[in-house]
Amino acid sequence: MSTVLTPPESAATPPAGPPSGRWHRRVAWHLRHNPKRELWLAWWTLVVFYNLFFPMFFVVAQVQPPPQPSWDLATQVHWFHERHLGIPIGFGIIFAIAGMTAVNNALIAYSMRRMSTSRAFGYAYLLIYSLSAIPGLLLLCIALIVGTLRPERDPKVIGWLYDFAFLSFDGTMGVFLIGSLIWMVAILIDKNRVFPKWFGYLNLCNALTEVVVAPCWIFQRGVLAWNGQIAWWLDMVVFGVYQVTFVVMLFQMIRREDFGTGPLPDLPRKNT
Amino acid sequence: MADPPGLQVENGAEDSRVPRKALRRSEGELILLWTLPATAIVWVSAFFLFPGFMPPMSPTMSADQVAAFYRDPAHLPQIRYSMIVFNWFGASLIPILTLIVMQIRRMAHRTPIFSYAMLGCVAGAPTLFLVANVCWLLAAFRPERSPELTQLLNDFAWITFTILVPFLIGQSVILALAIYFDDQPRPIFNRWVAHFNLLVAASLVPAAFVGISLSGPLAWDGVLSFWLKNVAIGVWVVVMGVVLGQAVYRERAEIQRRGEELDSA
Amino acid sequence: MTDVAETNKRARFVPGQPDMWAFVLFETLVFTAYFGFYLFYRARSPELFLHSQAQLDLRVGVFNTLVLLLSSWSVARCVQSSRAGAYRAALRDVYITAACAAVFLSSKMFEWARLVRLGDGVDSNDFSTYYFFLTGIHFVHLLIGFVVLGIVVYQLRSPERRSQELVETCATYWHTVDFLWVLIFALLYVVR
Repeated sequence: MSTVLTPPESAATPPAGPPSGRWHRRVAWHLRHNPKRELWLAWWTLVVFYNLFFPMFFVVAQVQPPPQPSWDLATQVHWFHERHLGIPIGFGIIFAIAGMTAVNNALIAYSMRRMSTSRAFGYAYLLIYSLSAIPGLLLLCIALIVGTLRPERDPKVIGWLYDFAFLSFDGTMGVFLIGSLIWMVAILIDKNRVFPKWFGYLNLCNALTEVVVAPCWIFQRGVLAWNGQIAWWLDMVVFGVYQVTFVVMLFQMIRREDFGTGPLPDLPRKNT
Repeated sequence: MADPPGLQVENGAEDSRVPRKALRRSEGELILLWTLPATAIVWVSAFFLFPGFMPPMSPTMSADQVAAFYRDPAHLPQIRYSMIVFNWFGASLIPILTLIVMQIRRMAHRTPIFSYAMLGCVAGAPTLFLVANVCWLLAAFRPERSPELTQLLNDFAWITFTILVPFLIGQSVILALAIYFDDQPRPIFNRWVAHFNLLVAASLVPAAFVGISLSGPLAWDGVLSFWLKNVAIGVWVVVMGVVLGQAVYRERAEIQRRGEELDSA
Repeated sequence: MTDVAETNKRARFVPGQPDMWAFVLFETLVFTAYFGFYLFYRARSPELFLHSQAQLDLRVGVFNTLVLLLSSWSVARCVQSSRAGAYRAALRDVYITAACAAVFLSSKMFEWARLVRLGDGVDSNDFSTYYFFLTGIHFVHLLIGFVVLGIVVYQLRSPERRSQELVETCATYWHTVDFLWVLIFALLYVVR
C-alpha cells in the first residue's frame, strides 16, 4: 500500500510550471513549489560541497597529493612553512562547510529508507558517516593547523603531527569500508529497484579500495605508503569514479522519486 | 520511529483508531527539556572556573609561559576540576538537540531528510569538545612535562575548542532550512527562529579560521574566534531552549486536546 | 509470461546479472593497474625480483592453481545441475567448491608463514611487498567468495528462493576469483 499524497499535478511536471526567464526566478519558484525541493536541496548541497572540498585540499591547502613519509624532519618543517597560510585558510573553509556532510549523509540514508529493506540500514549508515568525519577528516586537519601555528616548534613534534595527519587520512578507512558495505547490502537485497545492482557492486569495489589503503600503516616508502601509487593514486581514481557515480545515481533517484513505498518507477524514455 | 501526527495529515487517516495509536510517545520529554537549565548552569560555572577562559589564554605565550600556567599551584586544581566537570557534562546538550530533531519531524516536510541531517550533526560538536577537554586534562596531568609538549597539548586543545564549529553551523543552517520549508498554518517554530539560526551560523564561521594568526581577532583569544563564537553559542542555547520549550508544551497541549476529543467522540 | 521469456533471453545473452559483469570488468581493470605497477618496478630492479622469486616454491603455486581450477569446474557443474533442476547435485557441487577454496586458503596461509619465517616478510623487499599485497588482496576476494557461495547455498536449499540468475551471477564472481589467481600465479611464480 502506498501512502502517496497525490496533488493535482504529477510529481515530475507541475502544470503551472516554473516561470521561464531568469534563473533566479526559476530557482525561487522551485524552492517554493517543487514537491521534491528538499531532495533537490540536499543534492545540490552534495554537489556544492564536493566542488569546494577538493579544490580546498588540492589547491588552497595543497595537502593532497600527500607528501612523502620518508622525508627527513627538516623537509617536513619546510613543507609546513610553505603552507602556513594555505592550510589555515583552506581548512577554515572546510570547517565552515563541513556541516554539509550531514545533509549528504541524510540524502543517502533517505535512499535506503526508500528501499524495501529495513530502516536499520539507513540509520546505521547515518551514524557511521556522521561520526567518521571526526577521526577521518577533522582531527587531521586540526593536527595540520597546529603544525603550521608555530614555525619555531621542535621538529620532532612537527614530525609527529605530520605522521598523525597523513596516517589518519589514509588509515581510518575502516569506517568508510563498513559504511560502503552497508549501502551495498541494502542495494543488493532491495526490491524497490532504487539503484541498479551494478551500483551495489561498485560499492564493493570502493570498499575493497579502502582495504588496499591499510598497508600505509606499515610502509614508509613504496607503492603502499600513504602517498604510494597504489595506496593513494589508484585509490583516488577508484574513489573519484565512485563519487561521481553516486552523485549521478542520487540524481536519477530523485528524478524517479514518486514518494511511494513500492518499486521506484523508471524514467520515461525520450523519443529521439 | 513512529510517524508523528504532523505527517498523518497527508495520509488523510480519518480512522478514529489510528490517531490514538499514532500519537507520539512524548513521555519524559519534559524531563529532558528541563535538564537544559541545569546543563547551562553547570557549563557556565565550569567555564568561569577554568583559569584559561576568563580572560582567554593568549596564543603568543611562549612554551615556558604555558608550562608555568599549568604548573601554577593556584591554577592546577581549577583546571582539573573545571575540565572534569566539562568531561562529565560535555554530552548533556545532545538530549536537547534530539528534542529539536523530534520537532523537525513534526514539520510539514515530505521527507525526513532534515531530521536525518540534524541527527547527523548533533553528536559532532560534543565529540570534538571532548577531544579538546582531554587535551587540557592531559596538559594538566603532568605539569612537569617538557614545556614544548605542554604547549603542543595546549595548542591542540585550544584549536579544537575553537574550531569545533562545523557541526554547530550545520545544525543551525539545517534547522533554519527546515523551518523555511515548514509550510503549514501553524508552523512548529516561527520564522524568526530561522533567521536567528542563520545569524548564529554566520557568527560561528570566523572561528573556523583560527589557524591564520596567533594574534588579532581571529586568534583563539580574539574577538571573533573566542568572544563572538562563545557568546553566539550561549545565546543560541538560551533562545533555542525557550523556543523548544514552547514547542514541546504546545505539542503536549495538542496531544491532550486530541485525546480528549477522541474520548468524547 | 513475458518475464520468463525475458529472463531466458537474457540468460542466452549473458549468464547471470549483467551487473556482475560490470563489476568483473572494473575489478579486472584495477588488478591490471596493480600488475602494471608490479611489472614496471620489476623492470627497474630485475635481479632483486628474480632473487626473491626464487624463494617461492613453484610446486605450491601449481598446487594452488590446480585447486582453484578444480573449484571453478565444480561451480560450473553446479550451475549446470541447477539449470537442469538437479538441486541436490548442485548443492553437492557448491560444497566441493567451498572445500577447494578452504584448501587453497590454508595452503596460502602456510606459504605465508613459511616466507615470514625465512625472513621474507611483507616489508623485507619490494618483491615481497608485491607478493603479499597481490596474494593478500586476492585472499580477501576469496573470503568474499565464501559469502557468495553461501548465497548460492541459500538460494538452492529452498524451492521458493531459487533464482537461476543469482546462481549464475555468483558463479561468475567465482570464476573471476579463479581467473585473477591464474594471472597472479603467472606473474609472480612463473615469469622469471
